Amino acid sequence: MPITGVYFIPSNPNSSTALSTVTERLRAAFPDEDIAPIGRWALEQKLLRDTLGLLPASSTNKKPPNPRYMQFLSLSHYPTHGFIYTSEPADKPPAPNQTPTGPVNGIAPDHSPAPPMVMTTIPPASYGTLFQHFTYACQPFWSHRFTLAVPNGVVYDVGDFRVRLGDVRQTVPTARVRGTLVEIEWRGPSVVEAIPVAREDGSFGSVAGAGGIDLEADSGIDISAADIEESDIDAEYTATASLIREFWARLGMEGREAILIPGVGSEVKERLRRWKKAGSRTDIGRDDAEGEPDPWSGADVARQFMEVLRFNR
Amino acid sequence: MHEQSLFASVPVHQHHELLQQLAGLTAMQPRHCLERRLIFKAFRKPGLAGRTGASQDLQQGDLQRLNKMLNGNLYYTQVIGSVSEQDFGSTAQIDQDTQMAGTDNAERDGSPSSSYDYERQSWRLEFRDIPEAGTRSAVTSRFMSSAALPRGDVVQAMNAWGYNFVTEYVVEGDMFVHNGIAIFLHRVLHYPDGGDSNLPRQQLPALKDMTLLEKSGSYVLQAFIIVQDGSNQETMKTASQHLFGLREQLKPAVLLEQADRLSLDTRAK
Repeated sequence: MPITGVYFIPSNPNSSTALSTVTERLRAAFPDEDIAPIGRWALEQKLLRDTLGLLPASSTNKKPPNPRYMQFLSLSHYPTHGFIYTSEPADKPPAPNQTPTGPVNGIAPDHSPAPPMVMTTIPPASYGTLFQHFTYACQPFWSHRFTLAVPNGVVYDVGDFRVRLGDVRQTVPTARVRGTLVEIEWRGPSVVEAIPVAREDGSFGSVAGAGGIDLEADSGIDISAADIEESDIDAEYTATASLIREFWARLGMEGREAILIPGVGSEVKERLRRWKKAGSRTDIGRDDAEGEPDPWSGADVARQFMEVLRFNR
Repeated sequence: MHEQSLFASVPVHQHHELLQQLAGLTAMQPRHCLERRLIFKAFRKPGLAGRTGASQDLQQGDLQRLNKMLNGNLYYTQVIGSVSEQDFGSTAQIDQDTQMAGTDNAERDGSPSSSYDYERQSWRLEFRDIPEAGTRSAVTSRFMSSAALPRGDVVQAMNAWGYNFVTEYVVEGDMFVHNGIAIFLHRVLHYPDGGDSNLPRQQLPALKDMTLLEKSGSYVLQAFIIVQDGSNQETMKTASQHLFGLREQLKPAVLLEQADRLSLDTRAK
């Protein structure tokens, strides 16, 4: 899972987007690079909001509760799964087998800052089914607000970075242009890329040899689980974020940034924890069979996209 | 998606015979199934007292639509995970070293001692609406959806999505397929320690310690067809015709019937 940053440049419904400007600036800022499209990419996001929060606040009530969101995201560069990002329930769910005795008007007593979000990844087949389920069976608390899509994104390789550009179009409820997305992915060497992904049965195969096995990783870094700590991962994310920011600054564009947002890197840390745990009981000698793809890959960039695309209206 | 079904009650003394009849009819061996079924309930909808105020930026039509949504139904839904007999009565993976002797797995020499790993459990969300009312057809027809969920702990995601864990049970049974009809002969098992836990179990007790929901040990026979496009009258009709065909074939053994609609009500009150 590479380290990425996402920028969003909003635009007015009737004006043209910043896409051509970004492309021009990219060419101007990196004159030595051959900036030619190497591929296409696409994105779709469906955003749901808590139904109650959509009602106008009446004069009898004080502050409305924090809005809650549920976001469905699919990315063409992570085709093996879709992402669902949901606000945690603000009030703790009432204990089962017992009628809740919350405030009657449904307003939580305390107004803590926006609740943290829960990331879930699901197989592609579940993506549409679950969306339909929530819009059918959960109407009292989930309401579909809009669908956004990047239908025709372009991918460029610029030095050690891969840049994905694309215009965001709203398709539901009305068709309109929302702005331009820029994803900047670091493709240089990274400690994060060197942490192996656990296989179906939770083992790590030969890569996880707690030392001794010299494996030429793609990143060119040869490490074992004992060499990495969670603080190293944090440091890696911070360092890479500054590289991405530097890259973005060279374009001289104004935009909404999402890089080191809450939750980013948590799947990588979880992978490291599992690897360290598995290191003590390694089973070497099994072939590195094609297992199921890491269900958590792309969770960081999905978070970043959903952070910038969480519009209120 | 729509599910069309017929049901029958099968007393325990008839179970063995019916299994063989079904194997003969379908020309297949029964596929034994064990499933963990977690029941989740949608959060109680908040009352609407004092929420109707004047607004500038909300059209009257929107307001009506929102109020209609807020007063819509809430449902129970199930999260189902397939398990195997070896998953029962095993201890957690961490205790593997201390598990060596005296457990239920001891007689399975040679095979690696299996242990149930909740973190690796696969799940799917299964939703069933209350059966449709006023249909002239004599089958139980209900709107449904089924979607695979991530492995491991689903409670955090389910809570965020608006569902509370209520309780869980196990279904054991045998599955057959015949002419596009799935035939599931099954019964419900309860956990011996009751349902006082607020979370799904991380480990499963020994299968022999599970208690029967229906004390007599009788089984339920459910024959069902899942129709992808429930709005297509033609395919819905064909599906019920298939079910009636099966009902005729099984008539000497069991009587397949439409279920009582309200007994299959999944709405949360």
